Amino acid sequence: MHICPRCESNRSEVVTRSPVKGAWEVLLCPVCMFTWRTSEPDSITDPAKYKSAFKVNPEDIPNAAHVPPIPERVQDRS
Amino acid sequence: MAYKDFRDFLHTLEKEGQLLTISDEVKPEPDIAAANRALHNLGDKTPALFFNNIYGYTDARIAMNVMGSWPNHALMMGMPKNTPLKEQFFEFARRYEQFPMPVKREETAPFHEVEITEDINLFDILPLFRLNQGDGGFYLDKAILVSRDLDDPDTYGKQNVGLYRMQVKGKNRLGIQPVPQHDIAIHIRQAEERGENLKVAIALGCEPVITTAASTPLLYDQSEYEMAGAIQGEPYCVVKAKDADLDLPWGAEVILEGEVLAGEREYEGPFGEFTGHYSGGRAMPVIQINRVYHRKQPIFEHLYIGMPWTETDYMIGVNTSVPLFQQLKDAFPNEIVAVNAMYTHGLVAIISTKTRYGGFAKAVGMRALTTPHGLGYCKLVIVVDEDVDPFNLPQVMWALSTKLHPKHDAVIVPGLSILPLDPGSDPAGMTHKMILDATTPIAPDIRGHYSQPLDSPLGVAEWEEKLSHMLR
Repeated sequence: MHICPRCESNRSEVVTRSPVKGAWEVLLCPVCMFTWRTSEPDSITDPAKYKSAFKVNPEDIPNAAHVPPIPERVQDRS
Repeated sequence: MAYKDFRDFLHTLEKEGQLLTISDEVKPEPDIAAANRALHNLGDKTPALFFNNIYGYTDARIAMNVMGSWPNHALMMGMPKNTPLKEQFFEFARRYEQFPMPVKREETAPFHEVEITEDINLFDILPLFRLNQGDGGFYLDKAILVSRDLDDPDTYGKQNVGLYRMQVKGKNRLGIQPVPQHDIAIHIRQAEERGENLKVAIALGCEPVITTAASTPLLYDQSEYEMAGAIQGEPYCVVKAKDADLDLPWGAEVILEGEVLAGEREYEGPFGEFTGHYSGGRAMPVIQINRVYHRKQPIFEHLYIGMPWTETDYMIGVNTSVPLFQQLKDAFPNEIVAVNAMYTHGLVAIISTKTRYGGFAKAVGMRALTTPHGLGYCKLVIVVDEDVDPFNLPQVMWALSTKLHPKHDAVIVPGLSILPLDPGSDPAGMTHKMILDATTPIAPDIRGHYSQPLDSPLGVAEWEEKLSHMLR
């Protein structure tokens, strides 16, 4: 488990490792869907240095606007 | 002339001195995006970039800026690389009128070489990387996506081929942004109203002509494949997908087949956009990938996007201008001369027209607002006289500075639609729009002192010819 630099959840997981052993890992946060590579600059990988304008509060995620809205089922279309 | 596949076009770029191979080791971040941003800062004749030594990878190959300059755009059309932009516009418009060119069907394609249906992991298969610092993840932003109209699946033109940004959000999972003005939003709505998933196919690393057609604002029932054939002057080659009745571009490097999950929305973004601003984070539809096939050692094509100009602007400049040109000509066949809608995907459009009577130019501007593309773009329409070249911005500025009277010639139309990515729209998707009439007033509009326009000395054309020869 790793800390997500963007929403600071502790649920991030490795989705791939570099073909050249030990160069980097790619991590994915299942809460805010942020993805990062461990070899990126610390302004991307370090929760304390991640730009504040781009931080995501996990509590806001369920309220994010639906684009597009989910339409009503139309019975006679199926 | 047609390019056989993506690699064929890269070979042409190399032969023409328009492909620069970077063999020094680069980091996926920030080097690749930084190199491309820097390239765009160096002018409008830049080459494509080919990276073949990427830190942490053994055999990844990434091509970028493939169509990111006017020479590369000319080569896409099979024209000499130094063809002037205005000439490219009129040649594109001429070929546009050859539409539709029926497709050519094949049974197999080079991308059938390697097939993956179990344990798909896009992070393993594709050398993904971040473009801009605030991006929420790694994106596919130069892939074409194919889907069908569910109400009328037999009308070929309603199969859509479009370019949409897609965030890689899991090993076999993508997020997609369906802008309401674009065709994919119609197909997703049809499927969700039925409660069904929407089958889609995604092609990466395509010949530039299908990428161009996919990013052209065609009418809903016009086929991008049939337009690609018209632009390249011979039938475009397609092959069937395996999991759905969808046509795929024969020359692609990688194909992903999957489905948009009905009724599902998931946090997506932000993504640094062509508007020069980030999109913000919203809950958007999700695509599950069920099948991948690709050429051996596939070349991953990607596109740097950000504050204009970047590859996007070259890619969607001429092909955005031409449909507006054609649709305006449908309404005013004897007047419209040329259209430049190259600025931020046509958020600004410049129209050169003859005028029949006072007020005519404003009507031309109003028509631009109601074209299919104008409904989502064309926030500022500038109308100029027939003798002003809309691709020559100093001439356009001359027209604005001398022909326009703000009291009479600035028309604001309130409360119109715009794509939600316009950062100035408020609420997102709504805006006022403006027409600036920079044409010369004619009767019965008798304003101003325009009876003595400056002419040129006699013999200028002969001297142009003579001097251009002497300067060669």
